[in-house]
Amino acid sequence: MEVKEPRKPGGSDGSELGETARQMRAAQPYISAVWKLVGGAVVGVLGGYWLDGWLGTGPWLMVVLSLVGICVGFYGFLHEMARLGKRK
Amino acid sequence: MRKAMVLFASLFAATAWAAGSEDDVPGYILHHVVDSPYLEIEVPLGNPIKALEFPQWHVPLKANGCAPRMTEHGEEIPGLMDGCLDMSITKHTLMMWLAALLLMATLFIWGNRDKTKLVPRGAGANILEMLVLFVRDELAIKNIGKEEGPRYVPFLLTVFFFILFMNMLGMIPWMATATGNLAVTMALALCTFVITQVAGIRAAGLGGYLKHLTGGVAPWLWPIMIPVEVLGLFTKPFALTMRLFANMLAGHIVFFFLLGLIFLLGHPAVAAVSVPFAFAIFMLELFVAFVQAYVFAMLSALFIGMSVAMGHHHDDHGHDHPEAGPSHDQGKAHHA
Repeated sequence: MEVKEPRKPGGSDGSELGETARQMRAAQPYISAVWKLVGGAVVGVLGGYWLDGWLGTGPWLMVVLSLVGICVGFYGFLHEMARLGKRK
Repeated sequence: MRKAMVLFASLFAATAWAAGSEDDVPGYILHHVVDSPYLEIEVPLGNPIKALEFPQWHVPLKANGCAPRMTEHGEEIPGLMDGCLDMSITKHTLMMWLAALLLMATLFIWGNRDKTKLVPRGAGANILEMLVLFVRDELAIKNIGKEEGPRYVPFLLTVFFFILFMNMLGMIPWMATATGNLAVTMALALCTFVITQVAGIRAAGLGGYLKHLTGGVAPWLWPIMIPVEVLGLFTKPFALTMRLFANMLAGHIVFFFLLGLIFLLGHPAVAAVSVPFAFAIFMLELFVAFVQAYVFAMLSALFIGMSVAMGHHHDDHGHDHPEAGPSHDQGKAHHA
């Protein structure tokens, strides 16, 4: 009896993909990890700056949220790296 | 051929000479590359003629939002931030309409609507088929995949041909480059952005897509991580917007500046150098018109492909998925 192979997500083995697409897909988790590192600090600083302007608490919320953003960014980066290490 | 080139170069020089004094060169360049509420016909060795003034349409978003106000530059209609939405037709709007009409006419004339005849006849139909197959085989399938790729071919074809026609219109005297306008490139990038997100939701499901936005971290970190991930979504359309806009605008500025050198240096002999250089830039711009249309469509396909692939390995964020997706293995296979 012929056993039907389960349908893979994406529907193909990906052999038709071009070199750029393969490289970008392989690099995507690393780009995402780096963005978390940078983005955490950016969101913390901008969010704190905006809240300071709104609540009139400057510069304290910007200082606090910057530190929180940097810490969360680092955590997100390390979390993503650990996950990628596990996958390998 | 040589005579035609000399005639072409002379026309450039005459147009540049008609441009005016040396004081006005930056103003002249800016005037030609930015959008305006009228279409101007430049007559070599003559004065420009305002050929067509477009109707103005301002929509007030609040009471008296569009009432003219006195500013340091005189009486002005307020901008969007002050409650007035400017929906006026402009030179670039006209160019977009023209590009769309030309595109429809081209496809109507050369597109093969007779399904019994599979082989296109004539140069136009063959060129069109070559470009369509290139977008399908080299952009859609190679960046998105064999199964999902064909689904996005209509969008990629529309983007490719629309940008190409707008770029080419800008190379014709008296016309303008709509893709040298930030609003136009932003709207095009927004279309790619929406399609990319829809592709991601289709591949991962709404739950999987939203899970991606949490960055896979603990819920108490979401207030920081979700804005980071949402901000990250906009980096790709931002790159698309700026790339097309800057490339098209820069080419035209360089072209006009080379002609403007004749007036800035103040000697007609400069034309012997600047006109051939301007002609070379013009030729380069013709090439860039194709390259930028290709790059926009290629990057759109790449981003859609990445979104589809990301959706297929959403199990990374803690889901159990019995089957390994191709995107998992592609990276490993590639490194192996």
